[in-house]
Amino acid sequence: MEGTKRKRSLTLPQNKSGLFRLIAAVVVFALLFWRVGAVATVSQFGADTWLRLAVSGLILGGMYALIAIGYTLVYGILFMINFAHGEVMMIGAFGGYFVFEAFNAIPVTSADGTTLSLLNSYPILAVFLAFLVGMSIAALAGFLLEKIAYRPLRGAPRLVPLISAIGASIFLQNAGQLLFGPQRREYINPDLLTRGTGWEIPIGESSVMLTYTGVFSLVLSAILMIGLFVLVQRTKLGKAMRAVAQDKSTAALMGVDVDKVISQTFVISGLLAGAAGVMWGIHNQLINYFTGFLPGIKAFTAAVLGGIGNIPGAMIGGLFLGIVESVGPAALGIDFQLKDVIAFSILILVLIFRPSGILGEALAEEKV
Amino acid sequence: MSKVMLETKQVTKIFGGLTAVNRVDLVIPEGAIASIIGPNGAGKTTLFNCISGFYNPEFGAVLFDGKSIKGVLTDKIAGLGISRTYQNIRLFQNMTAVENIMVGFQPRLTQDWWAAILRTPGYNKEEKFVINEASKLLKYVGLEGLGDHLAVNLPYGAQRRLEIARALANKPKLLLLDEPTAGMNPQETDEMKEFIRHVRDDLGITIILIEHDMRVVMDISDQISVLDYGEKIAEGTPKEIQSNPRVIEAYLGPGAAALSEKYRREKTG
Amino acid sequence: MKTSLQNSVRNGVVFGVVIVFLALIGFLVIAASLLQKMVGNPVGLTSMPSAASLLVFLGFLHLWNGWRVSHNKEDIDTNVPLKTRILRGLTAGVTTGLFLLVYALVVGTINERGVDMRVYLSMLSSQSIDFFLFNQSPLVGGLIQFGFSAAAAVVGAVLAKFADSGKDKVKSIQKAAVAWSDKSWLGKVKTNPYVSYVLIGVVLLLLVLVPRQWGAYWNYIMGTVGIYVLLGLGLNIIVGLSGQLVLGYVAFFAIGAYSFALVTAPDPHNLQFNFWIALVIAVLVSALSGVLIGLPILRLRGDYLAIVTLGFGEIIRILLKSDWLKDFTLGPRGLRNIAGPTLFGREFIGDIDFMYLIILAVLLALFIARRVQDSTVGRAWLAISQDETVAQATGVDTYKYKLLALAIGAAFAGLGGALFASRNQFTGPEDHVLMVSINVLCLVIVGGMGSIPGVVLGAFALKGLPEILRELESYRLLVFGALLVVMMILRPEGLWPAKRPNLEVKQPPPEPETDTRPAAIGGGS
Repeated sequence: MEGTKRKRSLTLPQNKSGLFRLIAAVVVFALLFWRVGAVATVSQFGADTWLRLAVSGLILGGMYALIAIGYTLVYGILFMINFAHGEVMMIGAFGGYFVFEAFNAIPVTSADGTTLSLLNSYPILAVFLAFLVGMSIAALAGFLLEKIAYRPLRGAPRLVPLISAIGASIFLQNAGQLLFGPQRREYINPDLLTRGTGWEIPIGESSVMLTYTGVFSLVLSAILMIGLFVLVQRTKLGKAMRAVAQDKSTAALMGVDVDKVISQTFVISGLLAGAAGVMWGIHNQLINYFTGFLPGIKAFTAAVLGGIGNIPGAMIGGLFLGIVESVGPAALGIDFQLKDVIAFSILILVLIFRPSGILGEALAEEKV
Repeated sequence: MSKVMLETKQVTKIFGGLTAVNRVDLVIPEGAIASIIGPNGAGKTTLFNCISGFYNPEFGAVLFDGKSIKGVLTDKIAGLGISRTYQNIRLFQNMTAVENIMVGFQPRLTQDWWAAILRTPGYNKEEKFVINEASKLLKYVGLEGLGDHLAVNLPYGAQRRLEIARALANKPKLLLLDEPTAGMNPQETDEMKEFIRHVRDDLGITIILIEHDMRVVMDISDQISVLDYGEKIAEGTPKEIQSNPRVIEAYLGPGAAALSEKYRREKTG
Repeated sequence: MKTSLQNSVRNGVVFGVVIVFLALIGFLVIAASLLQKMVGNPVGLTSMPSAASLLVFLGFLHLWNGWRVSHNKEDIDTNVPLKTRILRGLTAGVTTGLFLLVYALVVGTINERGVDMRVYLSMLSSQSIDFFLFNQSPLVGGLIQFGFSAAAAVVGAVLAKFADSGKDKVKSIQKAAVAWSDKSWLGKVKTNPYVSYVLIGVVLLLLVLVPRQWGAYWNYIMGTVGIYVLLGLGLNIIVGLSGQLVLGYVAFFAIGAYSFALVTAPDPHNLQFNFWIALVIAVLVSALSGVLIGLPILRLRGDYLAIVTLGFGEIIRILLKSDWLKDFTLGPRGLRNIAGPTLFGREFIGDIDFMYLIILAVLLALFIARRVQDSTVGRAWLAISQDETVAQATGVDTYKYKLLALAIGAAFAGLGGALFASRNQFTGPEDHVLMVSINVLCLVIVGGMGSIPGVVLGAFALKGLPEILRELESYRLLVFGALLVVMMILRPEGLWPAKRPNLEVKQPPPEPETDTRPAAIGGGS
């Protein structure tokens, strides 16, 4: 990692690639400012719309952040992109789905004679169990993934585990399709968390709604992120993880069981991804076998954005990406269809202009 | 010995807060065998990396044959005539020995890629020339007959020699050898020492050597520079270096120098 | 002893989980009907295959289960006593059987209650559950599965015993056969240089004759295989030779197809270029796009490059589909009535003509790929793929060579895309999904990275076989995924690994004008 820190000077880059980057950067930023400026002057949106978009972006960003942490943790330790991480999230989403389905199928007659489903009699229990099951199944998936697809490849050239990860991702996606069918399934929320209801916050003449599901997701992801931060900074396991990330062989010499730590890292990433999956279902309603793919890639973008290997970076990157994706199309005055293009463009631009991300060290740059 | 082949002026390389190489001046005359020695972590390999273009020094200049090569990309530096080997052997492992050397011919190639597809007469001639020359180089380093083995399958000593053969392929004027005898037994070390001398005498290549084996260093160097904590602390002929108290201090710690001084005085006086 | 039984239990668990998984995704039914088709007794559309074929399929798995545990790495002596082997096989079989029994009881009971499991698990129809239970009650069906598993695993373990003792014999027979073939006329044929020319001639003759014979269906399938060979050869240059993992390869395919379509189709631009000119344009535009994309991103390494190119591929697809470019690309509808080739006024639109065209393109691509690979360029690429830093320090202009690889690879993809669009007379955004990139990457890796015959083999295996085994269509990607993981673990070099050529020119014994000095070091090696 030495050699990677290059002092930034004001001289022109000397190689071709660097020069192209500089020109491209200037062009991109000029275009961006021109476009945003042009849209802002004739914008038909009021403050309430912007706020609404920002809030929905923040909620989305919270989920991205949870998944992004998984990428960052694994990358920090194994220097590989866990390409199948999005699928782990999908598995978690299905775990929660089946819990809600089961709760919904059992009728309970209460003392006053009304019949409710178990889901609405004990909504908190249902939500708790949905998260418990979703997170555990996702954690199990992450654990098995590492054990089957990555562990035998430790020490192989870097492309080998990546290809294996791509293979695992394809496998899990298609297993999901074959098991659960290609159709989208509707998450049945308890009435407590009915979609589209929430607190109305008046803004001028109009108002912005903070949906219950959104606030719930955001709060829960914040709690989980704080929990993870404490885990990594304060506990023995966190210390071991950081040690392994620094130097595997030295950590092993110091008595750290490297294999175990790596397994635990995958379990932790799986837990977070599973939680994100259940939130995704609760907030966005529809899931299918492909649910994990795009959030997975975008969360990876977020991780890169924040500086891969850096946990606070992943959190910030996730929130940032969520907001940009939500606000971006309106700000640039383009079709909402193209929001994925914005996300991918950000990924490409970040990697080209600042491969180290917002907070990270330069890992993508050349190493000697 | 009049012309200067390589000169570094105040070269400085900083990693984060650590100054790995600090204001190092070197003057290497043409045709010399110069050694850079120093304790582990003294910045020797970093200095090599600054010369061969891996690192762009924060400060200072590197002049090769009178021209500045600071900030020039490594492939262009190889084209100018600087070759190097690596401390931990870095061959193209899944290519054969001959192919490894053939890659070294890259800066000397004149034919472009479309000529390779069309197999123009010019290309065929060049290809034949490169194969022939590579085979000769293979023989020169004593690996005749092993050319079609994958580099990864060669024994350790052979890999070291193959690395040198690859470095010789671009007809360098300056050869940087990073611990060429590391991991060798005394006999192999002696052979390597002789070989380095031959390379200089036969081919007229200037050689800079990083080496820990003092027997090698003292036997073949015309000039020795000593680095410690990134700074050059001494320079001179092997004799001068051997009796330099700062060098002894750097290697053995303070006190050792005084002890050795005392010992010498006792011996002489 | 204890560890070997643990090993058996573990193996049994793996097999149990796998078989239950296969049952859940409906693969058991498909496999059984395939078996039945193979023995010439195809299953009707609505009916289930026979119980016997299920038993045969499961039997193979159980035998394998027993075989695997019968002898394991920890055994110092290869001659494990029969009793131990039976015990191991039984343990593994019983473990697997328990999984099947539990599965049968759970699924069977729910099914008996009349719940339609398909609401949740789409492949689990009532019929297929009955099929798994041999039309018995859950308990009886489960017990049959259990007993069969245990018995077959024991048989497998016993069989392995005989196989182990027979191994040496087989080896000696093999050796004798090889020795015989070298000695006899076969050996002469093998070393005769003209044989390869004769073989090439035969292949060419076949390529000319066969498309006339086997009809439109096969021409279509083999045409697709041919286009994937083109794509594979291109990606092989990028990934296999120069070592740059590009996941958005489909972007170049799309650019080729769309640029071809836009200049030939009547709608929306009505340019109606000649086929050949359009083909050249498509190839050039693709190559150019490869260079333009490469300029900023080729500095990135490995996994970063992979993700960036993946993002790029998705951007291209979304843009093609978007309303924003609708006037230019017709959005999700795609482009229709794309021109076919004409030569001297004659239209080539038949499947046979197209097959010839694709064969020609593939031969051209093979020729180019072969020549680039065995040249200074190919060696530079290999050096970059193995150690980029050192390659550059050795004098390889890595940036230029990486761009070149991307440009040539993109050009191949552009050619493939143009032919694809022209043959189908249509191209739309859904022709250019991420799965195309993944498919091509798979075939390159399965065939063997950097190996040209590997690409051809991989294209046949991954594009040809699934067309033949239509029943497996929906399982294809599942198998791909698993295959990629397994290949990386067991055989990362691929089915037909690349070989390096022998190039060393043996120096004649001492000549006066060359170096007469004895090798300076290591003369004794």
